[in-house]
Amino acid sequence: MEKKTPDSHVIVVTSGKGGVGKTTAVANLATGLAKLGYSVVVMDLDIGLKKLDLILGLENRVIYDIVQVADGECTLKQALVKDKRFPALYMLPAAQTRNKDDITTEQVKTICEELKQDFDFIFVDCPAGIEQGFRNSIAAANKAIVVTNPEVSAVRDADRIIGMLESCDFKDIKLLINRLRPEMVRSGDMLSIEDLMEHLCIDLLGVVPEDRNVVISTNRGEPIILDEHSSASKAFNNIVQRLLGNDVELMTLEEDSFWRKLKRNLGFKN
Amino acid sequence: MAKIDIKGVNKSLVFVFSNGSVEEYAALLKNRFENNQQLFKGSPVIFQGTGLEQLSHDDVAALQRLCLDYGMIMHNVHTPVRELKTAGEDLFIYRTLRSGQNLHSEGSMIIWGDVHESAEVTAAKDVIVLGKLEGIAHAGCYGDVSSTIFALDLSPKQLRIGDKISRASGEYIKNPVPCIAYTEGANICIKEYRP
Repeated sequence: MEKKTPDSHVIVVTSGKGGVGKTTAVANLATGLAKLGYSVVVMDLDIGLKKLDLILGLENRVIYDIVQVADGECTLKQALVKDKRFPALYMLPAAQTRNKDDITTEQVKTICEELKQDFDFIFVDCPAGIEQGFRNSIAAANKAIVVTNPEVSAVRDADRIIGMLESCDFKDIKLLINRLRPEMVRSGDMLSIEDLMEHLCIDLLGVVPEDRNVVISTNRGEPIILDEHSSASKAFNNIVQRLLGNDVELMTLEEDSFWRKLKRNLGFKN
Repeated sequence: MAKIDIKGVNKSLVFVFSNGSVEEYAALLKNRFENNQQLFKGSPVIFQGTGLEQLSHDDVAALQRLCLDYGMIMHNVHTPVRELKTAGEDLFIYRTLRSGQNLHSEGSMIIWGDVHESAEVTAAKDVIVLGKLEGIAHAGCYGDVSSTIFALDLSPKQLRIGDKISRASGEYIKNPVPCIAYTEGANICIKEYRP
């Protein structure tokens, strides 16, 4: 566990609403950063409803969990699960048999401080909701990524979450729009990026298009970012670059027409 | 001069209050009750009259408690009183209110920013939003129906002025113009604001 940068970024990935892709975003961004050699740890705080281990494909390597670390039943090093693909990526699993109140904000902060010594990036996978789990997740973070889908219910929850983050003095709040379907936006059946930005008025971190390969990769426990041909992978790679402070343009989201596919297969740039 | 008329209506005693302070009323009532405890004990009592409107909720509650102490049964729990407070300090807000956030002003409320969907603002007097109003605004929340709601982009889901409520028609207006909402009779009217 060699740190590349002196500072550590503690990034909470949150949304309010469930099922918008928080855990998928955490798994992919962490994998993307680890691929570039940064030391990364993902902390699953969705205690009682853990999913991150599945999406990373590490479910059979989990021995200890974060509640046991907090209670002093094991050391932090013992509980960290090393990724099977990238040696720079670690996961701190959630307990499945406990619940959100079994850990306090103070304990999360202590664990985070300890992790900061070894890791460049600490991702916190926040549970849905605005209760104790949310408060635990934001306790130690200095940055926040709010994940939302282009639909009114997710946007309302995102707005609520942004308000709560702002009242907790978060300065760095970025928006990640997930599961956008360009063809539906074009036909006026889905909120556009502009609509979302106008309503939520925070900085945009990136847009991930709807991609059926995500389901496949989740079931396999292989983050989609490793499948370089998928559009979601490109989007996540761009977001990784932006997290590193590089300026990457938003990719143009076009549905794949027959001609475009043909052109691409023949080696033309589109 | 404080005055309380006591009438028997439909087996209830109706106390009609007119023109007095809470102390005067209390003294009057106490006098009456002491003189004829048997009459009042166990009787259902209804408070009425214009005098009530000059009293605060707490004052009315105190009078009701007095009646209860003498064994009466209060019938109108929802007294028609309206707390007529004098407007307090105006509140100036220099940020956007997001979903779930709510603010209250004892005077008018002036917001330099937006009020997002499902955020709530209440004010004893006017609500002025120098931005987009999409949430719920309640002007004159203590009953002052002369209050107005103004926004540079007035597209709320619901407007409330005093005790009146109006819902959005559901149409989405593309080109926002400054609008003002006010009451006219029993309705809330919205019109384009022209200075």
